[in-house]
Amino acid sequence: MDDGVSALVEMTGISKSYGGVHACRDIDLTVRAGEVHALLGENGAGKSTLMKVLSGDVTDHTGEIRVAGVPRRFGAPVDAQRAGIAMIHQELDLVPELSVAENIFLGREPRTRLRTVDRRAMITMTRGLLDRCGVRLDPRRPVGALRTGEQQLVTIAKALSLDAQVLIMDEPTSALSPVEVEQMFTVITELRRAGAGIVYISHRMDEIGRIADRATVLRNGAVVEEFDARELTAERAAEAMVGRPVQAMFRTRAVEPGEEILRVRDLALTPRRARSGRREPDGISLTVRRGEIVGVGGLLGSGRTELLETLFGAGPPGTVRGEILLRGRPVRPRGPRQALALGLAFVPEDRRIAGLAIDHSVLANTVLSIVERIATAGIVPRARETSAARRIVADLKVKVGSIGDAVGTLSGGNQQKVVFGRMLLTEPLLLLLDEPTRGVDVGAKAEIYALLGRAAEQGIGVLLASSEPAELVGVCDRVVVLSGGRSVRELDTSHAGEAELLAASMGEGSTAIAVDTGGAG
Amino acid sequence: MTRTVPHRGSGGRVVAALFRFQSLFGLVAVFVVAVVFSPRHDGALLFLDGDNLFNVVRAVSEIGIMAVGMTFVILVGGIDLSVGAVLGLAAVGSAVLMVDSDFGVFAAVAVVLLIGLGFGFLQGLASAVFGIQAFIVTLAGMQIARGLARIWSGGQGVAIAYGDGPGEAPLAFSLLGERTFNGLVPIPALIFAVVAVVAIVFLRTSAFSRHMYAIGGNEQAARLSGVPVTRVKVAVFCICGFLAALAGIVHAGQLNQGSPNDGFGYELDAIAAVVIGGTSLMGGRGSVTGTVAGALLLGVLNNFLGLHGVDPNIQLLVKGLVIVVAAGLQRLRPAG
Amino acid sequence: MAQRRALATVFALALTLSAACGTTSENSGQNPQPGAAGGDACAGPDGTYTIGMSQANVAEPYRERMDDDIRTAAAKVPQFTVEFADAQQDNAKQVADVENFLTKQIDLLIISPNEATPLTSVVAKAYNKGIPVIVLDRKVDGDAYTTWIGADNVEIGRTAGKYVAEQLLPNGGKVGELRGLAGSTPAKERGDGFREGIRGTNIDIVTSSDGDWLREKGQAQADAMFTANPDIEVVYAHNDPMAEGAYLAAKAAGKEKSLKFIGIDGLPIPSGGLKAVEQGRLSATLIYPTAGNEAVETAKQLLIDCEEVPREQTLTTELITIDNAATVYDEANS
Repeated sequence: MDDGVSALVEMTGISKSYGGVHACRDIDLTVRAGEVHALLGENGAGKSTLMKVLSGDVTDHTGEIRVAGVPRRFGAPVDAQRAGIAMIHQELDLVPELSVAENIFLGREPRTRLRTVDRRAMITMTRGLLDRCGVRLDPRRPVGALRTGEQQLVTIAKALSLDAQVLIMDEPTSALSPVEVEQMFTVITELRRAGAGIVYISHRMDEIGRIADRATVLRNGAVVEEFDARELTAERAAEAMVGRPVQAMFRTRAVEPGEEILRVRDLALTPRRARSGRREPDGISLTVRRGEIVGVGGLLGSGRTELLETLFGAGPPGTVRGEILLRGRPVRPRGPRQALALGLAFVPEDRRIAGLAIDHSVLANTVLSIVERIATAGIVPRARETSAARRIVADLKVKVGSIGDAVGTLSGGNQQKVVFGRMLLTEPLLLLLDEPTRGVDVGAKAEIYALLGRAAEQGIGVLLASSEPAELVGVCDRVVVLSGGRSVRELDTSHAGEAELLAASMGEGSTAIAVDTGGAG
Repeated sequence: MTRTVPHRGSGGRVVAALFRFQSLFGLVAVFVVAVVFSPRHDGALLFLDGDNLFNVVRAVSEIGIMAVGMTFVILVGGIDLSVGAVLGLAAVGSAVLMVDSDFGVFAAVAVVLLIGLGFGFLQGLASAVFGIQAFIVTLAGMQIARGLARIWSGGQGVAIAYGDGPGEAPLAFSLLGERTFNGLVPIPALIFAVVAVVAIVFLRTSAFSRHMYAIGGNEQAARLSGVPVTRVKVAVFCICGFLAALAGIVHAGQLNQGSPNDGFGYELDAIAAVVIGGTSLMGGRGSVTGTVAGALLLGVLNNFLGLHGVDPNIQLLVKGLVIVVAAGLQRLRPAG
Repeated sequence: MAQRRALATVFALALTLSAACGTTSENSGQNPQPGAAGGDACAGPDGTYTIGMSQANVAEPYRERMDDDIRTAAAKVPQFTVEFADAQQDNAKQVADVENFLTKQIDLLIISPNEATPLTSVVAKAYNKGIPVIVLDRKVDGDAYTTWIGADNVEIGRTAGKYVAEQLLPNGGKVGELRGLAGSTPAKERGDGFREGIRGTNIDIVTSSDGDWLREKGQAQADAMFTANPDIEVVYAHNDPMAEGAYLAAKAAGKEKSLKFIGIDGLPIPSGGLKAVEQGRLSATLIYPTAGNEAVETAKQLLIDCEEVPREQTLTTELITIDNAATVYDEANS
């Protein structure tokens, strides 16, 4: 390790487990001054946990962290910040209404002698910081008016103002346009020249090849390989990241697909008002047949969620072009209610935000979509309501004391089953699922896959959007790969494996690998 | 017995029940205090005097009727500040229609109820369809209803005289100021009871109420689950406006007058009853049972303080404290 | 009684618990004996008496002073205990206040009604129970009360009008009016009276705005008034606080010397109209007597002296100018 360049941070023997699951096992990682260290790995490989340990977010780990040679124990993120380690979060913690300068100096504004905020000094200092990053931005502009990439640069400037020596960047380019990516690289180069150490998490091999010095690949919570980043190829990285047989938890095909349920042709949506951070469909074609599970893959920002939302009528208002045929009949759902009536069902990505009333009972949450259907003259018979809820709870093996319990008291996997159950109760033709196993433990994952298999056996068509290549390859019959809101490839998973999927996700000419969003480890 | 939260966790279920029915326990507590410390006259407890107890219920009936509607709006995460002004508009409307326009009782009542419903409809539309915050919409609605009441009444209280002649209201309307069951039960209290029972049953049994709770609990999830969010919200504002108008009719009948200043500040009393009743201002949990108990609690408190001749300014302090305590208890309530 | 109480309790619980409700009671509904009000209430000087005073609101200084006058006067009568209630400008609250007094079985009711019609029936209920009722300031409808004591707002308005016509603008001129709360009787009467007072002269009321009895509202309305009508010479306000507000607005515009201000009420308190006249801010005010002293005096006649009292006792107003302001103030507070 010691090759003459001073180590800013040395992590040795870091382990951390959640419940019985090892998120990190005995990991060693060094960040040196003036180096960009890429961290690679699939979802759940342990990247996020490792970085949470380094940034003081996770504190109950074993192993040692040395900063500039001194052993440190962080009790909270603020300790890590004081030690010069800053995390650039994907969700930016900026106040949109305040200016760039105000955001950077939020809570520690320079004062005049009269104790009022010294705006002039604040703006001058901000200019200096931005110059150090090689960024041209007016410090007085409100952050809300900046583009995502510019906001990210402001966050970096803020970290620098806190004298950060080590910057952790988690997918910093995922939401950026090519021009912004170039700008970001300029900044990173500047930082490296100034002697900062950078941990760079990304899945785009072209980026890693361009700016990283070293790369560490994690798999199942452990370091599997270290590379000199400049010699790294996409193939080698993919091998190291996947490096395991497709898990047995995935189902094996039981039924032959039947008639075609859904056909989408050249689907595109032009929203009335553009929202940043969204990639609306811009030419997607696919089909789903009865009993078939079709995957939707692609990089973060390729438009997976947006496709499902558009099909379900839950996207932003705007003009939809192209065709959606449901059992041969053209449809155009204007809202979830209409979509449900047509036989579509949707399990959204974030169940706490979009799926559940967390304070309400399992009963209330499961039957919500069918209360009108089981009501007589608007009155819901209690018996019919509870029997429907009990049946689905038993079917899906939801672990719950009583259906009267608040859904918020359930584990993530069981919460997910409640949302799933609500949709199954509507007896849909087609089930749209967005990241159904996000934040769910391994056991519940397997159960959810089994449920998907059973739904398919019953003749339901399933469209499954996921960021996990293993999941797509293991669960789906076919995978449609999206890129930039377009469907670019379709893979038959009986012939193609994860490596092909990863390669396909890169699109033409691109060397990005994997379809990870770097989510929960 | 009612869906405060539609069912909750087994862990701490007893505690949860305590919180769920906090207003009932509060009501019982205040009631007991009122009995124990009741002023006496010739040895009899004045508070427990039959007339007095009915006075309490009569006095809270208007606020109670409005608070039921307010509960609905708050359950879907909204608020309606216009109810007091709509009460004034309805009181003026009842008086003017019967006295000046020679409407019969049923015609006048029907028209006024429709006005209240229509007013709620417009507010619901503005809030649910155009996405203006309910607070703002109904703040504006409050001014508009007050202005309409002033215009309609010519700025004066319109006295209601009874009789068959022109310029006189049908005698039947004066029933609102009277008592039934041998002059014992005030008609307004009876109306309040009917409204409360219907609302409680409705909230417990209807598919619509499941939608209301879901919207208040998580609007996005409700929308994605096929709940017609906009329609439900508009309907809820309609119900609230309708009940405010009903309270206005009762008000005019009790006081034999419709004045444009009637109901001034009542919206705050109604909100207080809802809050004391344990309904979350964030929406999604609460019950009409709680609200009714909250309204009665305020009534008993008013009566008790009044019977003791407590300084009116101190009375305000006491009521303020009760609201703060009720809201504070909600925060202690075990979450999810 | 016990049965009624039980029924009432059950009713309240029924309402709460959403159970069924409603049974009839056999021994209820004894109708109160009408008439003979005050007749059996008098127990002479040996009795002790609880008097209920139902005030429309204590936010207005005038009504606060009325309560104070009653408190002071009653303190001199050892047999009297007075309880006060504040209806906070709400008719329904005042009805409940009076009902509370009836529950407490007061011996005499003094009421200053928020409005006439809404309070009529509860006042009649008290009167029909044999409780003497003294109505102050605003009347109630009908004649189910013992006596009314108050001043004539039309007469006061008329006096104000005549004063303007004869003293301030003998050759005619323009007047701005700041009215009391829209819909209230005194606002109407003080306005109508004033118009009678200036009838047949060259005086024009060029503008009227609602000041809602409030100083700050009066100030805001006067601001607008002076901008829209720079040629106003006199401001007639329906009470002193609004007149003071108008004075402040004029001062802000540098016009306080050229304008004249008249108010009504003339309260003998430091912030009242008498002081404002004495200190030269207002040209004149008209005394609107609180009737507090007279009410206690009448209660004494009814309860202790067992005397008949007249049905109406109209108190006279008095025009206050710089000449008599100080004297009247001292007399009222002696």
